[in-house]
Amino acid sequence: MATYDKRWAYLLLFILVLLPMLQPIGMPISVSELTKEYYAQLQTLEEGDIVLASWSTEYSGYMELKPGMIATHKYYIKNGIKLFICLGHPEGLALVDALLDKELASYMEKYDYTYGEDYIILGFALPNQAATLAMATDFQASVKVDWKGESIAGTFLDRIETGADIDMISDFTTGAGNPGLINHVVLTFGTPMIQNQIGVSLPGSFMNLDAGLITGLLASTRGGSELELLINEPGPGLIAMDAFTLGHYLLIIFIVIGNIGYFGWTKRLAEEMERTTIR
Amino acid sequence: MSWFFKSKQVNLAILVASFLIGFVPYFLKIPQIYEFTVSLTNVASVVGQFTIVIAIYSQYRRSLKFIRERRKGWVYNIYLLALMSLMILMGFTLGEHHATYMWLVNSIVAPCSSVVYGILAFYMFSAGARAFRARSLKASLLIVGGITVLLYQAPLTGSFLPGISPYAVFLSQTVGMSLNRMFAIAIITGAIMLNVRMLTGRELAFLGFAREEES
Repeated sequence: MATYDKRWAYLLLFILVLLPMLQPIGMPISVSELTKEYYAQLQTLEEGDIVLASWSTEYSGYMELKPGMIATHKYYIKNGIKLFICLGHPEGLALVDALLDKELASYMEKYDYTYGEDYIILGFALPNQAATLAMATDFQASVKVDWKGESIAGTFLDRIETGADIDMISDFTTGAGNPGLINHVVLTFGTPMIQNQIGVSLPGSFMNLDAGLITGLLASTRGGSELELLINEPGPGLIAMDAFTLGHYLLIIFIVIGNIGYFGWTKRLAEEMERTTIR
Repeated sequence: MSWFFKSKQVNLAILVASFLIGFVPYFLKIPQIYEFTVSLTNVASVVGQFTIVIAIYSQYRRSLKFIRERRKGWVYNIYLLALMSLMILMGFTLGEHHATYMWLVNSIVAPCSSVVYGILAFYMFSAGARAFRARSLKASLLIVGGITVLLYQAPLTGSFLPGISPYAVFLSQTVGMSLNRMFAIAIITGAIMLNVRMLTGRELAFLGFAREEES
């Protein structure tokens, strides 16, 4: 039992993830202080404030950030926050369709949240630090059109000259992402920044949170589901939490079984050697 | 004239001047220098985008070499080149907002990206279950810490075992963060040292002077 066929682990994990997704159990969840602080930061925004939504994620990372992204954007839409969306990864192009055109379409319609008036997509505008610095120091010289080549003149983006005119940065990222936002906007202009981060990259974000470089941190799918609870907008995060819980418990069970097997095997091996040793 | 651009001193002088133009405005607010820095940054940003051409060229060259020499996995390189060429062709001829191009992005790139990420969960699960073996005292402590954080991360745990929270938060946000900070400081210190070596002319391989240095 010290070793086992890992395909059993795969199969069990697959079943435990699939079943609650098909038939949610609705296990209770607790809301962490981290998410409460992130929500408190969202509440500092007022109607008409301009937020830079940085989608620095591949499509794969979006799968983990999806609940947080949906819940955060729902908050912005409901409260009339002006958004300009910048992509930090070429795959971000697919998110426009997945997030705005599918997940949030009816919600935007409900609150009459319209393109050009309430939100603008600038496309792959944050590819590196130089581009971020250029946008932060002289926005109007750096950005003249949106992602479809339409002029942004006459929109709410006229109010932005430098990074100081952005009320908040809302970063959705899968790792180190583009450090330019912290280096050239947060540190230079003191613009507050909140972040939705995937699980494996959280230690780096904790560091930035502790140093005050970001003011709120939403941790992975779990944080997203907690935010859904706080804003009273149940979504994919809360549905996934049953599978999340069962997956974690299954891993703990496998660790325990593996160790029991390891000790049993080691003990038996020692006894076997003792028995067969020629004296 | 080519001697001018090939000169180590000229390249080094441009490097130092560019560094100062970018560095000084952080400490001294001189409007003339600041405006020039903004312009230079815009130029750098635009020039930076052309590096994609080099990346595409390098990928074609590498893959063609693999295919020519029939190296392991050369078939996948054919697939890679075919898809890359298709995306480039569609992007240039139809534009990135055309339905066909977006279909490729939404129906091929996005699902493949999700699947690759999704199957990682199985490998991480298996690796985690196998790696946590109490082979020594240190490994045992690691298991205790790991299980504590895993229990805390499971959303249900907070409902019936709220007392675990401070321990798990301490492990992830204090111990984990301090280790990450150590790595960050090490990387930044290394970057500063490398930059000083570059600016003082001791490290010029990135400018193409490696052979000269070695000789």
